Amino acid sequence: MKKLTLLCLVLLALPAWGTELVVYTYDSFVAWGPALAIKDAFEKAHPGVTLVWIAPGDSSEMLARVVAELELGLPTADVFVGLADVEVPRALARNVFRPLEPERLAHLADVPADLRIGGDAFVVPYDHGYITLIYDARALPDELVPRTLDDLLRPELKGKIVLQDPRTSSPGLSFLLWTIAHYGEDWPAFWEKLLPNALTVTRGWTESFDMLEAGEAPLGVSYSTDEAYAQIVYGELVYRVLTPDGEGFHQVEYMGVVRTTPNAELAHALLDLILSPEIQELIPTSQWMFPANATARVPEAFAAYAVIPEHPVSLDLDTVAANLSAWIRTWQEILVAR
Amino acid sequence: MRSEQPNAPLWGQRRRGWRAGGAWALLPLAFLGLALFLPLWEVLRLGLQADGLWTAAPLRSVLGDPYIRRLLLFTVEQALLSTGLSLVLGFPLGWLLTRYRFPGHDALRAMTLVPFVLPPITVALGFVLFFGHAGYLNRFLQAAFGLAEPPIRVLYTLWGIVLAHAFYNAPVVARFVNVAWEAQDPTHVEAARVLGAGRLKAFFTVTLPALVPGALSACALVFLLCTLSFAIPLSLGGARYATIEVGVYNLARVDVDLARAAALALVVLAVSLALTCLYVRGGGLLRPVSSREREQPTVPLLDRKRPARLLWLVYLLPAALVFLGPIGAVIADSFLRPAPGGSSPTLHWYRIALSADTTPFLGTSPLGSILTSLGVALAAAGGALILGLAISAAVRRLRSRVLETLLMAPLGVSSVVLGLALLLAFRRPPLSFLPPGPWPLVVAHILIVYPFVVRAVGPLWESLDPRLVEAARTLGASRRLAFLTVELPLLRSGLLVAGARAFALSLGEMTATAMLARPGLNTIPLAIYQFLSSRRFGAASAMATVLMVTTALVAWAWERTGRGLLGRREKAFLASDSHRGGAEIAEPVERVASGFMPDDKAVRGLKAVADRLRRYREPIHSTTDVLRVSAVRKHRRNHA
Repeated sequence: MKKLTLLCLVLLALPAWGTELVVYTYDSFVAWGPALAIKDAFEKAHPGVTLVWIAPGDSSEMLARVVAELELGLPTADVFVGLADVEVPRALARNVFRPLEPERLAHLADVPADLRIGGDAFVVPYDHGYITLIYDARALPDELVPRTLDDLLRPELKGKIVLQDPRTSSPGLSFLLWTIAHYGEDWPAFWEKLLPNALTVTRGWTESFDMLEAGEAPLGVSYSTDEAYAQIVYGELVYRVLTPDGEGFHQVEYMGVVRTTPNAELAHALLDLILSPEIQELIPTSQWMFPANATARVPEAFAAYAVIPEHPVSLDLDTVAANLSAWIRTWQEILVAR
Repeated sequence: MRSEQPNAPLWGQRRRGWRAGGAWALLPLAFLGLALFLPLWEVLRLGLQADGLWTAAPLRSVLGDPYIRRLLLFTVEQALLSTGLSLVLGFPLGWLLTRYRFPGHDALRAMTLVPFVLPPITVALGFVLFFGHAGYLNRFLQAAFGLAEPPIRVLYTLWGIVLAHAFYNAPVVARFVNVAWEAQDPTHVEAARVLGAGRLKAFFTVTLPALVPGALSACALVFLLCTLSFAIPLSLGGARYATIEVGVYNLARVDVDLARAAALALVVLAVSLALTCLYVRGGGLLRPVSSREREQPTVPLLDRKRPARLLWLVYLLPAALVFLGPIGAVIADSFLRPAPGGSSPTLHWYRIALSADTTPFLGTSPLGSILTSLGVALAAAGGALILGLAISAAVRRLRSRVLETLLMAPLGVSSVVLGLALLLAFRRPPLSFLPPGPWPLVVAHILIVYPFVVRAVGPLWESLDPRLVEAARTLGASRRLAFLTVELPLLRSGLLVAGARAFALSLGEMTATAMLARPGLNTIPLAIYQFLSSRRFGAASAMATVLMVTTALVAWAWERTGRGLLGRREKAFLASDSHRGGAEIAEPVERVASGFMPDDKAVRGLKAVADRLRRYREPIHSTTDVLRVSAVRKHRRNHA
């Protein structure tokens, strides 16, 4: 018991040696994205500060963690990176963020106005892209490749589609909202047939993409930049992007400062660093998204292969805010009812 | 003949008895009040109050939700199916263990205890690796039969959960059946056979009816365990299948709707209390009564004259696949899964699992998780031993059913509810006054494991002949000395086993832990779950192998050093402050023993005391000296 107390004291004393800035994000931002480069650049600019990335889940799961920790009075993050636009209303309703001080974000001026929301009061965008379907060109024969959303219901595709859970993952939520925008009131009927056709619904995007890469399923929901990924990483288009009906759901990703942080100044410095061209230029080929900063240069291969859908789809955030929990509840009932 | 245990009424004339017994009961009652009843009150308040008024509205709203109703239905459905499959898989194993002798019989019997300490998350991981679409079994079948598609698709379905539960619980059924069967008197079957019944008829009319109570009792326990299962449905259910336990977790930690979580937790609490009562009450009625006069005869399994017995292979081979496959897959995968460069076997996954690079995906460094796990398990085992001893003592002295039920209450509280209760209680005083640290985890684990200590130590203590202590007291030993030299050593084996088991259970606990986890507070099972749910299989296997090896090693080392430690303590106590050798008084004690109720358990006990005294050649304690004097005096009187 004495030893344990001692151990606890030592463990507790460790973080007290320097300032720690804890940043929550989704797992792929660390596993693929520019997280480590950001850490290096930030720690170089702020000696004595340690930047800690915490990313055990996809974005909605991480948002839930912050909300739970705020609600339960537990220690929590200083900064949250990686909130999809459609998740912003939920985060604001839960009072997660503190008001931003835009004068501390010098690089925000280079971000186009159409990506920014709510007068930059709580969150600022750092990248954007399109949720589409992708398929493994080596595993899915041409005649099975879906051209419309309705094609996903074909019985030949049974057990070949990987989806993400909209309750825990932002691409999953974006895909659900895309179908709601596409089908209107009839969206539950579509999902009642889609879910039995799917192989599985994963908690996050990382898991579903891993299943694709492992050859467990040839078709899934992912990003329109995956052809650029395939071309640059594999040297050939092993993954093809599908824009059924010419559509793709526009997704903008945001970041903000958590309400309880004692390090607001450092937190703003971090947001500004992520918006700087230095980091923004890493986003295309690590995060595989379009940078938010308009002055950031994009590699040619990326620009050539990243698909931009003919008809980008998005939903009005006020509509999302008003209906999201009812939609999720309906989706959940369809999921368990079959 | 055997005298009754001395009773002390809770209230009444015997004030001394109440004081002594009350003191024993006070510590556990105070602890449970703060750590269990107060937190449960918080859940009750949150789940049954709206705007400060008591109302059933939150409960009604939760029970009216079609999604929650579906969860309840699914929970019952999978528990029933799991119980059925456990019975089907476990009964033959119980039969095999009772009726046949074969090489490895005792090892197999011992292995039926393994699921009691095997962490559920390692079983879940084993199932993903072994039965998964790209798992070992499918890959083998595809290669063997040239199949294009994986033939076995049980993962992320109802059947995956049921199979994993059966894996876990069939050995429980086997054990119950084995015990019930061995308690039967073989002459009954023989009588039936003599009276002309065929072998089948004798089995169905004599053997089977006598096994029904044991099997029913086992089924009640398995149903209870499967209803309250958490780690397996959480990891094997995918998005679609969830039990009510997982539902509470999702409401509290994913939707962060604490009021609804508390309301559903009350439903879970009612279910778990009801099932536990049913099992504890019913289990007592159904416990097999040993009526036998001799042991059950066994026959060799491998007999050249009886080739039909080889039909057991039809059961044994698939059973070995189901039981050994998943565990083997975890250990094999941790070494054999090819590293990114393609090399295999490799230690790459151990390096990954233990390196600081994985910290962002766990929320804590892997080494930090391991240290937290070990520290919490040590504290929980220590706390559970103290609490368990105090409760056993209190229940022994104050025979009160109410008190006993109160003191054993955590048995009926599901771990996820306990986690939620502590999560809520640690937000406000008095528990929020504790300095930051892993306290919520330690408290939760103590509450989860101490009932096992009581159940191991209580009956053992009860079975000790009270005259052993009485004899020592008459011989002049103080209550304390009598406890340390007579009772504690006799309880030692039970305490050691209970301590090791408490430690192992705490190491593998994931339900309350998942509810209480927060940044910087992570354990090994949670790390495995996080690796598994993000499909970092190699790292998950490495971590799970570390957990299984640690559990086995620690349980073994605990047994070894524990014996030594307890022995030293007794020795130190006897050796302190005195001037005579133990051997000197051992002899009179022995002589007293032989003149004192010959050929009785008490005599054997006294002889054991004498033996122990004789082993210490060092000078002995003055109290022991008194013991010697009075022993000699008593001896003289007896022989006068």
